[in-house]
Amino acid sequence: MESYIDKIKEISKRLLEEGKVDMVVGYRRGSVPTMHQPFFARSKAEVDELVWDSNCGLNLANYITDSQENIGILATGCNSRNIAVHIVEGKVKREQLHIIGIPCKGMIDRHKLSAMAPAPIASIEEDEEKGKVTISGEGFSDTLNKTEVMQENCTLCLHRNPVIYDELVAQEVAEQSKDEVDPHARVKEIEAMSPEDKWAHFDDLLSDCIRCYACRNACPLCYCPLCFVDESHPQWVGKSLDPTDVRTFHFLRAYHCAGRCTDCGACVRSCPVGINVRDFTKKLEKDCMELFGWEAGLTTEQRPPLDTYKPDDPEEFIK
Amino acid sequence: MKNLLEHMGIEPERLHFSWISSAESTKFVDVATKVTDSAKSLENKEKKFVKTKPKVA
Amino acid sequence: MRVIRIDKSDWDAGVEKLRDTYRLIGPVKEKFYHTFAALEAGQIPDMEYVNSRISPKYAIYPQSEIILSCSLNEDDEDYKIYHEPEDKNYEQKAVLGIRPCDADSFELVRVNFDTEEYKDPYWLRAYESTTFVGLACDSPCPTCFCTSAGSGPYSDKNLDIMLVDKQDHYLAEIITEKGEKLAKAAGWQTEAEEGATDAIDKSRADAESKIKSSVGTENLAKQSLLDLYEATVIWEKPAFACINCGTCTYACPTCWCFDIQDEVHGKESFRIRNWDSCMYPIFTTHASGHNPRGTKLDRVRQRFMHKLKYYVDKYENGIQCTGCGRCVSLCPVNIDIRGICNMMNSYDPESCTCEVTAS
Repeated sequence: MESYIDKIKEISKRLLEEGKVDMVVGYRRGSVPTMHQPFFARSKAEVDELVWDSNCGLNLANYITDSQENIGILATGCNSRNIAVHIVEGKVKREQLHIIGIPCKGMIDRHKLSAMAPAPIASIEEDEEKGKVTISGEGFSDTLNKTEVMQENCTLCLHRNPVIYDELVAQEVAEQSKDEVDPHARVKEIEAMSPEDKWAHFDDLLSDCIRCYACRNACPLCYCPLCFVDESHPQWVGKSLDPTDVRTFHFLRAYHCAGRCTDCGACVRSCPVGINVRDFTKKLEKDCMELFGWEAGLTTEQRPPLDTYKPDDPEEFIK
Repeated sequence: MKNLLEHMGIEPERLHFSWISSAESTKFVDVATKVTDSAKSLENKEKKFVKTKPKVA
Repeated sequence: MRVIRIDKSDWDAGVEKLRDTYRLIGPVKEKFYHTFAALEAGQIPDMEYVNSRISPKYAIYPQSEIILSCSLNEDDEDYKIYHEPEDKNYEQKAVLGIRPCDADSFELVRVNFDTEEYKDPYWLRAYESTTFVGLACDSPCPTCFCTSAGSGPYSDKNLDIMLVDKQDHYLAEIITEKGEKLAKAAGWQTEAEEGATDAIDKSRADAESKIKSSVGTENLAKQSLLDLYEATVIWEKPAFACINCGTCTYACPTCWCFDIQDEVHGKESFRIRNWDSCMYPIFTTHASGHNPRGTKLDRVRQRFMHKLKYYVDKYENGIQCTGCGRCVSLCPVNIDIRGICNMMNSYDPESCTCEVTAS
């Protein structure tokens, strides 16, 4: 995807020059491998700082809510779906945005990569054509297939191309179909477990959580002015590392994302201890698909299913 | 909600949803009995989502 | 200070012997990274580790700690009278294999927990009952900048013993009385051969030369606080990127802020001290609803100004950072304290620019 950058810069400069947008939201080069910094460019000189490659795995839709300005924003498939969710939920207006669509080829999993490397990674290089990623550091240099080190959500992605955009930086990439990948294979594995095993699985999953809330804050959906875990009047959740409180946070946060989560993976990517919190959200994604035939963020015309009532909503759970 | 609770290991017997009108007293009794019976059937299982006493470090 | 030699073949047995006197804490690999954990019987610390994901400050200052408790039973004589829980454990413990940068952090945070006016009894007792057995660092990470942050890969300022890895053996500097005691308890008493000190000095120089990144701190004290405070050029971009999570503060060995919460369990009440983070909006929200640090920029600025300016001015003890690089490698949006420090250090209020803009 590094080949996109010239086009990205060209579009961004044009938009700023024509006064169509006040700023362009993208990434600038990070100071460590696998990490770039979300960044806004207001001038041509700043546009030249923009980068795009497989280390841009956060969700830029997180950076545009409640703004009064006109914004140019770089958007992959999942990012564009979250922009659509924002538009539906009134967090930003469509006419404020100029969406620069990026056909996405998947992001690199920084947790997986650092676990695979024998020592801290000092540099990372990508050969786009061959689909290879080379990592190196003191005393090692390994070339890996990109498919092996991609974020799991990217390997399961069914919407790599932006669903809404004003212009694309390149030709659309081929989409994966449900016949090729089963986005819910892992959910099914958990579903097949006994209640005890499920409980133990999530206990183990959350055992490292330090409650830094990076998952929540990296999530474009978590825009509440005051999160329920932060409320003190009344206080819903304890603040220590008590496992019940930790689980309450993760479980309820996930539930708030039902029908809105696009599986962008920003939560997992931002977690300092690498917890796969998608084990919660994927289940909700699957249920929304099965119960309501719904995938989040594919339209700006319709509100998510848990927001609305329809006479034919499934209600088998009510006895 | 029920689905996600079950997904993370809450037994289906523990959570029930019912629609009962204020005029349906007999249904209310029925449901309440069923709910308590089904929760009691798990008596021997570990309690979930119950905070334990905080540990002294 | 004397130097002894510990053959690695004697290491495990020594560690076992220590259990008679000390509770042991050391690096262990959990899932895919290292943490500091209580070592169970027979468990040996993994001394091949690079560093723990989260700093070991929690060995002294746990993320959640009960500080007081009381009975809520009206029949009890001490109904609702808070006292320290009886089972708090301040028996001797030893932290094995801690990195010098992390050990140095305790000296930096001590100024907060141990002042003439106020002494934090929990932190102090935990600290004083601990013996630190450090492991000098021969393969620093690309994100390390300890040498310019007042610490170093062989900094022994706050260690009781420092181990230097020499393949089949350790050379151990016994630095303090506490260190002597521990070495004795483990049965490590073989004097090192002549030239050991030189060998350590050579390794130290080698290790220091491997640290490739640095921060400039020489102008921080001279800079005007208000100039830095108003330096949009420093704060604007990081504040935009920041998501206000607590990763940097929780991973940091020198962040000390906490929150106190009361929790009730049955007829008992517990007062718990939890880590808190200046990145969170509610950290400073007043009861009135007003928040003096109401914007993201305020909070990002606060973290760096505290570490790199307020601390520097107040304690004249250098920066409140040991250069461990955790916040750099863990920040989900790549806010790099090295770049910010260099910008603060080189900020020119006349032109409102910084000479240095990156790490």
